[in-house]
Amino acid sequence: MSAAPAIATRRLSKDFGGGRGLFDLDLEVPRGEVFGFLGPNGAGKSTTMRLLLDLIRPTAGSASVLGLDTRSQSLEIRRRVGFLAGDFGLYPKLTGAAVLDYLGALRGGVDPRRRDALAERFDADLHRPIRELSTGNRQKLGLIQAFMHGPEVLILDEPIAGLDPLVQQSFHGLLAEVSAQGATIFLSSHTLSEVERVTHRLAILRQGRLVVVDSLENLRKVAVQRLEIEFAAPVAVDAFASLPGVREVTAAGATLTVAFAGEADAVVKAAAAHEVRSIRSRDDDLEEIFLRYYRAEAPS
Amino acid sequence: MTRPPLAMALRLRLTSAGAAAFGLVAVLVIVGALFPAVGDTIGKLNLPRGVSQLLGGADYATLTGWFRSEIGAVYGPLVIGAVAITSASAVTAGEEEDRILALVLAHPITRARLVLAKAVAMGALVVIVAVGAWVGLLIGVALGGGGIGIGHMAAFAVHLAFFGLALGAVALAIGAGTGRRTLTTAVAAGVGVLGWLINGFAPLVSALDWLKYLSPFYYYAGHDPLTQGIDVGDLVVLGAVAVSLTVVAMAAFERRDLRG
Repeated sequence: MSAAPAIATRRLSKDFGGGRGLFDLDLEVPRGEVFGFLGPNGAGKSTTMRLLLDLIRPTAGSASVLGLDTRSQSLEIRRRVGFLAGDFGLYPKLTGAAVLDYLGALRGGVDPRRRDALAERFDADLHRPIRELSTGNRQKLGLIQAFMHGPEVLILDEPIAGLDPLVQQSFHGLLAEVSAQGATIFLSSHTLSEVERVTHRLAILRQGRLVVVDSLENLRKVAVQRLEIEFAAPVAVDAFASLPGVREVTAAGATLTVAFAGEADAVVKAAAAHEVRSIRSRDDDLEEIFLRYYRAEAPS
Repeated sequence: MTRPPLAMALRLRLTSAGAAAFGLVAVLVIVGALFPAVGDTIGKLNLPRGVSQLLGGADYATLTGWFRSEIGAVYGPLVIGAVAITSASAVTAGEEEDRILALVLAHPITRARLVLAKAVAMGALVVIVAVGAWVGLLIGVALGGGGIGIGHMAAFAVHLAFFGLALGAVALAIGAGTGRRTLTTAVAAGVGVLGWLINGFAPLVSALDWLKYLSPFYYYAGHDPLTQGIDVGDLVVLGAVAVSLTVVAMAAFERRDLRG
């Protein structure tokens, strides 16, 4: 049992009709991994998570969490998983403390010290009615309830939505801690920058289908990078466009922007033949891959 | 794990049910206090049979008839029906539309248990209103000059409670089955109003008389618990409706996708 992956899906599908839903998802997340699940809104991220929690039922395929079937053993899964829904509601008239008490009671009680430590960490206000809280403060309550019972697997749908940068930092620190303690984290986002700092591997989903699953390192290898080279005088674009790996060259006065895949060596050496004032790397390489996979045309 | 959702549903709905019960007590007291002053005059009213039937076959000249028509026919079932339907609808479809149920069901509780907890909470709220009706009757009847036994007043409250449970179970089944709050409230209230009309008008046309058996009002007031006491057969019918619709609610909720 302990050898079973934290999350495994086999041709998991949920067809909502009209081309919407999730189709033939095969995914395996080993225990202890921090796994990023990326895709634009409507790609099927939340659908996958809801299927894992048995909130909705697959039209085909199957899934397991901690080796337990998501349909027949859901109760045990939910005991051992912490879930943050992308769009969740809380009783507006109650305080955060009352709601957390209730959710803790549904688990047969949780250690109040752990809950209070989380509240302190996120600087969450537990004593005001939820209807008076901002989106970010409600999100903090969502995070606390997901973490407060020390789950083995965390399924977090857009966890940092609405959080200010300081709380995001606290959240990333918490992820690192629970990950070091062996928990598996499966988190979704629609922007790469939110997850690239914390994930080991990531999957990109588009229109309900898995496009790629790989480590950040491997994705970086095939990433299209951009160098912005400012020369002392305008240079010939063709000399760069014909270099190996170069995808695109644009010129603006004496500045060239060169997009290339793989090694930067050829571009840098070609640039060295001229007087170079500055070289800037556009630090958006992974976002480029991400957008490339997002686009409707097949990734090149 | 049924207790926390039960306690939560009671916590959220107790104030409104308590207010409804208190209002019912107040109205019953006032109605009772008014009887000595208006009973003689109003007793001579000659209402058309249809109207009289809708008002529980009212005989305004007696205190029993006065209560039966003023409270038994309209106000009592209206209040308990409203509490039962709005509670059942809010704790099922309402919480689902507000995306609270998705959070709750990510916790280790089965859907059947969750619905059962909601059903028990709705039942408890209905009982509170019914107890309010009984207390109101006790005071109101005393102020109106007496003449109705405590047992018969209790019988009325018990029939009222079973009526509320049945109507609440209609809302519970629709709410758990569809997750749509407006639909739930509208259909369950529609069942109540239609039942009231059928019970009032069907007996006026002999060919349609049998229709009254389809109305929860028939089992609630058809055998006049305020005069006749408890009718076990009627309670069995209303109780069976409540229990079977609760089972339907549990099964329907278990099978479907959560909305949102």
